[in-house]
Amino acid sequence: MTQTPPPVLRLINVSRSFGAVKALNNVSLEIRRGEVLGLVGENGAGKSTLLKILAGIEKPDTGKIEMNGVEVKFRGPNDARAAGVGVVHQEQSLFTNLTVAENIEQHAMTGSALSRLGLQDWGRLNREAQKVLDKIGAKLNPNTKVSDLSFIDRQMVEIARAVCIDPGRRSTPLVILDEPTAVLEQQETAVLEREIRKLREFASVIFVSHRLDEILRICDRVVVMRSGSLSSDRPTAGVSKADLFSAMVDGQAEPVIHARQRPAVASKPAVKVTRLSRQGEFHDISFEVHPGQILALVGASKSGRESLARTLFGAETHDGGSIEINGKPVSRWSIRKAVAAGLAFVPAERKVEGIVGGLSSTRNIALTNPGVGAVGPFLRPRTMARVAKDWFSRLDVRPGDVSLPLGQFSGGNQQKVVMAKWLNSDALKVLILDHPLRGLDVGASKTVNAQIRAACKAGVAVILIPDTIEEALEMADDIIVMRDGLRSARHDLHSNRNLAIQDIVADMV
Amino acid sequence: MVNHLLSRESKGPTGLILAVVALMVVFSFLNPRFASVENLQNVLFQSSVPLIIVVGATLVILMGSIDLSVQGVMGAAGMAWILITPNTRTGLDYGVWAWVIALGTGVALGLFAGLIYERLKVPSFVATLGTWYVGLGIGIMLYGNGLLPSLTNEALARWPTRLTLGIPNSFWLAGAVVVVGLVIMNYTRFGRGLLAIGNNEAIARSSGISVSRYKIMALAIAGGLSALAGILATMQLGSGSSDIGSTQLFTVIPAAVIGGTALSGGEGGVLRSSLGVFLLVILNNGLVLAGVDPDYQQGVFGLILILAIVTVAWPHRNRLKVAK
Repeated sequence: MTQTPPPVLRLINVSRSFGAVKALNNVSLEIRRGEVLGLVGENGAGKSTLLKILAGIEKPDTGKIEMNGVEVKFRGPNDARAAGVGVVHQEQSLFTNLTVAENIEQHAMTGSALSRLGLQDWGRLNREAQKVLDKIGAKLNPNTKVSDLSFIDRQMVEIARAVCIDPGRRSTPLVILDEPTAVLEQQETAVLEREIRKLREFASVIFVSHRLDEILRICDRVVVMRSGSLSSDRPTAGVSKADLFSAMVDGQAEPVIHARQRPAVASKPAVKVTRLSRQGEFHDISFEVHPGQILALVGASKSGRESLARTLFGAETHDGGSIEINGKPVSRWSIRKAVAAGLAFVPAERKVEGIVGGLSSTRNIALTNPGVGAVGPFLRPRTMARVAKDWFSRLDVRPGDVSLPLGQFSGGNQQKVVMAKWLNSDALKVLILDHPLRGLDVGASKTVNAQIRAACKAGVAVILIPDTIEEALEMADDIIVMRDGLRSARHDLHSNRNLAIQDIVADMV
Repeated sequence: MVNHLLSRESKGPTGLILAVVALMVVFSFLNPRFASVENLQNVLFQSSVPLIIVVGATLVILMGSIDLSVQGVMGAAGMAWILITPNTRTGLDYGVWAWVIALGTGVALGLFAGLIYERLKVPSFVATLGTWYVGLGIGIMLYGNGLLPSLTNEALARWPTRLTLGIPNSFWLAGAVVVVGLVIMNYTRFGRGLLAIGNNEAIARSSGISVSRYKIMALAIAGGLSALAGILATMQLGSGSSDIGSTQLFTVIPAAVIGGTALSGGEGGVLRSSLGVFLLVILNNGLVLAGVDPDYQQGVFGLILILAIVTVAWPHRNRLKVAK
């Protein structure tokens, strides 16, 4: 009789608390060889803590971890890597100034491709990296600097790095992909899915995503986490999105698509764009957005929609056409003027463009427009804090301490604070949202969307760059589809309620 | 191998080399004496001290830190060296131990700054600013009120200017340091690790690079090289002086920046910084030969320096913008 090999990874009653918060509560879990395990859960359900424990970044308070039947104790990330755990983190963690090969062979930093003199052997390093790249089927030159690569190619390097774990000794590495698709466009996601299927041939995979349909498509088995425990663990076959959703949020049904009422159209458009062009980005774009309306810009990568949004906000210049704000044409448009005219921009790159991580939420919210939090040039800290607290309860920001540096909050909660910063202004007339739901869980997405609608109701014109077409259909009054910088279609969702996703995709590619 | 080096430093240094050549052509037209063999040897001689310093400074800047202690370390090491090498004041001769002690002084000051920086988490700017004055203090103490210490050994005093294969010995020494610097940066775990730290310290830490040790090591090396520069400068001058290194810092850091070494770390390299040194030394030398009134030289030099840095930084002016 052949013995079944022990699981690649086994967690037995693992718990971890931070202060009074039980981030993980007696979690037990097994992963078999060659299995792709989906991991879902709302922000704060304990996914990150679980992953950090597997990556050796956090230590469990109690419980055991076994790999291939042997108990392991990780004292740091190096131990986890040596044991065969490779992690692709949510935020890319490559050294952009080093080459692909150097990034892949992290252990080159700790000494394998060294020549007899102790010097780095570039030839050998590149050959070894090439082997790993070939294994995962990525067509990249190992000697390229990472800063010269596109986003999806960098993601490939991340994966190559994760599977490059002492290839001689370990037969089955465990690769953890923490929301690798969150920042990818649709066709890039397809590439990644192919990649994951390939990984299965020689690795076990834990795949974390907020996109439930993706999980169902890619994974063999899916576990759902809720408040630090596993609330469901079953094979993907026969599981529906609704099942997963109810396991995530404790029995609530999936949200229905809100049919929006057509807003009363004011006489003057808040934003009017006529034949707007920017060399190499977009060309001859015209549209109007009235107060209370939501316009969604839909398109694949390189459609020019992000650049268009930034141009509207004065962050990039246009070289043709005109912009009118509240009926007045603008000249020498800049971010300063845009903010003065009541425009707001919620950027996709929160960390870089949206927040000042070292400042408290209170300060961040008051950054653009302190409103009642200031008298002339002087700030009123207590009033500012009160305003911030008010936003925290309205947007359900967690943890609820407005004095903590914003950089310490999770992505979803940072996004809520960025929204609050702009919504705090009474003068807000136009809200431009660049991927507002990126990296947010179902609950946080609902809160953010509700705020967008509330702003709309109050007479703000919204220009939305959605992550998905579903988001556009759910939120918008009008959709403009862009392809290669040109407007390829325009849909009025009120007169065309049966518009299907396929109709939109057809104009995108 | 050369291709390897060129391709791996951020963007080829071709533009810089062209700038150096262009500058030389311009100065040759302004004064034909500029292109004379003697003057070119003089340029190499003048480049030697800043070249040695810039190698250490670049390693430190690449990891996103800065070393301001140059002048202090040079003063301390230069004075320490001359007082135990045949001189007019002490009459001591420690021979090769003089070198060991003087270089050791530099390494120790670098380690001191590194430990303060890394263990006490004081910014390198402040830690090395402090070391600057500690070093200067040591130099001034050693200088004291006694007789001016001058070299009595003719061979030693002449060594820096003496030519080997037509090139001053000073420059051979500096060239060797630059080559070692290039090897460290491109072919050692330490060098690649410094680049990684400069790019993203948090990732470097979580990748298992010994960030603390590397930082301390880089500052110690920079200290050692400043000490070497201090000894060479003392030899060139022929007598000891505690402010032997004055103004060097303000040659070396602009040189690194002109070379394209980003003060934020992670970009640039030893080769590019060295070319930056050449550019500045030639500029200084050329302005004198071009007959610019000495009263105006400083001001003109400053303006050209600003112009050069703006030109170099121009392609990066949108660096803060997030490219997708």
